[in-house]
Amino acid sequence: MKLTEGDIMQITVNGEANELHEAEVNLLKLLEIRRVESPEMIAVQLNGEFVDMERYPFTFLKSGDDIEFLYFMGGGSR
Amino acid sequence: MTGFSTYAIHGSRSQQKDLHGALRTPVYDSVAFEHESAEDLSQIFSGRKPAHAYSRITNPTVEEFENRIKLLSNASAVIAVSSGMAAISNILLALASSGTNIVASRHLFGNTLSLIERTLKPWGLEARYVSMSAPLEVQAAIDDNTRAVFLETVTNPQLEVADIKTIAGITSQKGVPLIVDNTVTTPYLFRTKDFGVNIEVISSTKYISGGATSVGGLIIDNGNFDWRQAPRLEDWARKMGPMALLGSLRREVYRNIGSCLSPHHAYLQSLGLETMSLRIEKSCANAFSIARFLQKHKKIAAVNYPGLKDSRYHEVAAQQFANRFGGLLTFDLQSRDACFAFINKLKLIRRASNVNDNKTLILHPASTIFCEYPEKQLEEMNIRQTMIRLSVGIEDVNDIIQDLEGGLTTL
Repeated sequence: MKLTEGDIMQITVNGEANELHEAEVNLLKLLEIRRVESPEMIAVQLNGEFVDMERYPFTFLKSGDDIEFLYFMGGGSR
Repeated sequence: MTGFSTYAIHGSRSQQKDLHGALRTPVYDSVAFEHESAEDLSQIFSGRKPAHAYSRITNPTVEEFENRIKLLSNASAVIAVSSGMAAISNILLALASSGTNIVASRHLFGNTLSLIERTLKPWGLEARYVSMSAPLEVQAAIDDNTRAVFLETVTNPQLEVADIKTIAGITSQKGVPLIVDNTVTTPYLFRTKDFGVNIEVISSTKYISGGATSVGGLIIDNGNFDWRQAPRLEDWARKMGPMALLGSLRREVYRNIGSCLSPHHAYLQSLGLETMSLRIEKSCANAFSIARFLQKHKKIAAVNYPGLKDSRYHEVAAQQFANRFGGLLTFDLQSRDACFAFINKLKLIRRASNVNDNKTLILHPASTIFCEYPEKQLEEMNIRQTMIRLSVGIEDVNDIIQDLEGGLTTL
């Protein structure tokens, strides 16, 4: 479902303001939108709290959410 | 592709290819890595962008070695460090603190014991020593302030083998991480995750390095512990969930201590890893033949090798290590003088302090790796003045036996 202009979601991703022009965006979709190449190599924080990878499809975003993708170089992770 | 050696040689084919198609990851002998903008560097340092920045924290050659170990261990995360002792230091500093305790085997490698007693004790860490062959002792020693249980797969040089699945059942029920030093068995003989171990540490200087080429160590997180139960990692667990230990090490303890593995050593150890299974098979087979030879020799007072049926650890070792028993054995002569005289007569076997080299090595533990401990403590640790340790290499076994026989005939 496309949103009307007034309904565009304002979120912050890795410290940058972002607009989402789609409704019902979950974390899995956000990783796709952001073209994250190795999602298994990151930790996702939503408003400062870790979100388990299994919860990505069920974690829907709302305006004002602050999302951090934290990468692990070296022999990490999962 | 499922076999240990195949993975050890090829790693993960999905990993990034070299720019020039090199089949071996080159040695990236560079401290720093340049990036396009100040913004990029800022993103990399805050973990928001995946790239190498500084080799004390990550390095491409080291990363390739870490990823191969991760694959072979079926682990969640691996950090390669400068030595096996650095691996133990890092993990204890990450999990424990002043006023807490760890429960450890009564029979620890001499330097590990020294780390705990002489380096960490003055900072307020208490160690409770138990017999890992007595699970009830382990259970009784754990309390609310216990931050880890630590043991070795085969103690050196007592060659005791604990029933690790039973110990893991206790630590899991108590909510305490179990750390196992897998140096002398490696993931080839013992995949710790399958037995419920949470953290594995290895001195990769030994079997992995491919013949004592380089000093190194590994910290392996099996990804099977809920880090919310580890008080030191509470904040990390809230922010990073199952990656809490990795975050705490890579972004704090390991980074701050500066115990990184050099890219040169990572290259040598990746190379060693490729032939490790062949070398382990050979050293185990040689050790078994030598133990049988010594057992029958009239000048030998006693032989200790878990591969011998009269070892009290034979059954548990056979089951845990898939019927291989490692390359270490000990035997006793009549006296300390006899041990010294025998060692001095050897022509092939090298008098040196290391284990799991390609070469067979010999030493007298009481006067070398345990020389800093008084006689009473040596007795408690079952380190006898009459004991000799042999680390069996991969030479032709008849040549090793001939050398031993030559030394024994002079006694």
